[in-house]
Amino acid sequence: MNILTVPITRRQAFKAMLGIGGSVASAVLPMSAEASVEEHPEFPVASPDAVAMLYDSTICTGCKACMPACNEANNLPADTQLSGGIWDMPTGLNAQTKNIIELYQDPKSDEFAFVKKQCMHCLDPACVTGCPFGSLKKVDFGAVTWNSSLCIGCRYCEVACPFEVPQFEWKALNPKIVKCEFCYDQRLKEDLQPACTAACPTGAVIFGKRDVLLVQAKDRIAATPDKYYENRVYGEHEAGGTQVLYLSSVSFQKIGLPKLGNASLGHYATKVTSVIYKWLGGPILMAGVLGFAIRRNWRRHELERLDHEKKTGFPDQL
Amino acid sequence: MSFPSIPNPVETTTPASSDERGATLINHWQSGVPVTVGPVLTPLLVLLMMLASLGLVLAGMRLVSPLGPFSAMNSVYAWGIWKTFNVMTLTALGSGPLALGMAAWVFNRQKLHVVMRTALVSGFLFYATGLIALGFDVGRPWNFYSALMPWRWNSESAMLEISICMPLYCALFLSFEILPLFLERLYYTGNEKARAFLRHISPRIRKAYPFVIIGAYVIPLMHQSSLGGLLLLAGDKIDPLWQSPAMPWLYLIAAALCGFAFTLFLLLIVCLRYSRKLDGDVLSELANLLSGMCFFFLLVRAVDLTLRGQLHAAFAFNKMSILFLLETSLILVPAVVFRFRRARRTPRVLLNMSALACLGGMLYRFIPTSIAYAPMRSTSYFPSVPELLMAGGYISLGIVAFVFAINYFAVLPGESSTWDHSFRPFGWHTATAAPTTSLSKPLERGA
Repeated sequence: MNILTVPITRRQAFKAMLGIGGSVASAVLPMSAEASVEEHPEFPVASPDAVAMLYDSTICTGCKACMPACNEANNLPADTQLSGGIWDMPTGLNAQTKNIIELYQDPKSDEFAFVKKQCMHCLDPACVTGCPFGSLKKVDFGAVTWNSSLCIGCRYCEVACPFEVPQFEWKALNPKIVKCEFCYDQRLKEDLQPACTAACPTGAVIFGKRDVLLVQAKDRIAATPDKYYENRVYGEHEAGGTQVLYLSSVSFQKIGLPKLGNASLGHYATKVTSVIYKWLGGPILMAGVLGFAIRRNWRRHELERLDHEKKTGFPDQL
Repeated sequence: MSFPSIPNPVETTTPASSDERGATLINHWQSGVPVTVGPVLTPLLVLLMMLASLGLVLAGMRLVSPLGPFSAMNSVYAWGIWKTFNVMTLTALGSGPLALGMAAWVFNRQKLHVVMRTALVSGFLFYATGLIALGFDVGRPWNFYSALMPWRWNSESAMLEISICMPLYCALFLSFEILPLFLERLYYTGNEKARAFLRHISPRIRKAYPFVIIGAYVIPLMHQSSLGGLLLLAGDKIDPLWQSPAMPWLYLIAAALCGFAFTLFLLLIVCLRYSRKLDGDVLSELANLLSGMCFFFLLVRAVDLTLRGQLHAAFAFNKMSILFLLETSLILVPAVVFRFRRARRTPRVLLNMSALACLGGMLYRFIPTSIAYAPMRSTSYFPSVPELLMAGGYISLGIVAFVFAINYFAVLPGESSTWDHSFRPFGWHTATAAPTTSLSKPLERGA
């Protein structure tokens, strides 16, 4: 009965604290050990095998040959809601559309441009950083793929993606995240280029190694200065760099590519937490400090409690 | 209302009030005392139970239906009010156990121990209902078993931290902390065998207690800040007045602020409702801490805005600036008012100001997830009717559970002398408490 009137010694307390910390750590550390501060450099470098798409808006004729090609490669049904069941007519990326050609038209002038939208396959994708159980992963060639057996459907990828690419199947009982996966499983693995670039008749979107395409894009800019907006390639640095590169004669923002900083979002979001949570150091340190203070106050409280019980005859409530 | 004075096995006397100002009703809260008189079922409670069951029925239908027909969410506004309000905003109000517990156990504010149970029960219910909301919100809950497989964890994801820590905190730590409520009831109403068992088990609980509460504070510190950390990845989608590297810290401070404010508010509301006497010392201590927390929040917010050069945006008087000013003034007013001792001892001021602080803290937690969340593609989101009904249902469920808790368990603080350790029997009886089980000798140790 009187076990509590004999307080635990401080050494015992520390021992128990270490025990708790250790058991938590041993459960968690195998994973945290892999994470390092270097995982999200502010300006990520493309891996040597990184592939890319180069889309030149000035060449695209808006034939949309890439769209059925994409649907076919990905077994996606045509989005016929708008066309009354006749043809594929999506109004944007959606649960049946991984790739779309959109038209930008200035209401006042006759300025217009086409733009192809699909996953940008960022060098440091925010969706992969946020995905809790690693359902979204950056795999070989830098393709960002989605694994149905790990996804819990939290939709954090949709909140994180600066390009608003991942789409959730709101109408499905077994909802999937629908996004362009660079035809990784279907074609990339078999040394084929993605369906959309293979289908493009004009060469508006071409496939290749990222560094090669980047040089090619810059050559085009150098060959015809002032043809391209800002004389630069969109995607070279945006959000740390993407594996889809854009050339356009119209403002990138007008054709729906967001204005983004050059730093990777993953770096911004994890630069502090990756230090605090490394080896669970922060939480363990915090547990130690709190444990010390709680221990001291607990003892004081115990003494007062016993005093109170003696006086009133009633036990103290926790 | 005055409680009939019930003779106690050992005479306990309440020391006279030390209220030198004589402005308010003061007595001395000493322990948790259940509500033992009056009906449990009131018309309002029946209404809330109906709302709760409506919400739960809808949630049950959601189990066999996709998310689409139940919500107005879309792939641009992928998080609706279940996440942004029921989880991200209301768990701030449910941070009372964290805020008060840290104050009581770490910073040795002894007075707060007596109101811990109120904070714990409300906090548990906010977390539990938030987790229910989350369970019906995620699209593929059957894959959640990955949480038990550390090799699958993406350790840099704030979402992982939340999806593991929140259920863990609620199911393990908060449940452990509210366990004494149940054991205490069992001790005083159970048979001799149960009492013997509890006498055996309670020293063990007391022994584990100081170690468990370390986890009970470290884990919410982690996930309450991670809730702000979640929004970092949203980047430019969130208005620069809110999007800031300081967001995890501010979310944590806002949680502490709301924890103090809501516990204070709840105590006053419930004590008014059940005509309980107020303990001016405890309430003014809470108000004092709340005021400090408000100032701390505003300081961090001001420094953050200045360092990021966003002060001009704060006073641009556009929509976002006005929201910011509203949120800031809702926090500033209680902070200033509670600096005055007379205000801290006036129940009406305590009630109003704590309500304002709650609103301010909730606004800070809610705005960046929704109103200031403006993705480039301009689809709009406003919660649909089933979404609102479900969100309201979860909240009603929490309120109903709280009312039951204070009626059947010794939750609300009161004077020990007003309670003879008898409990209202379970069931729909409207009669007053059953006669005391006569115990021959004073109880040696409760749970």
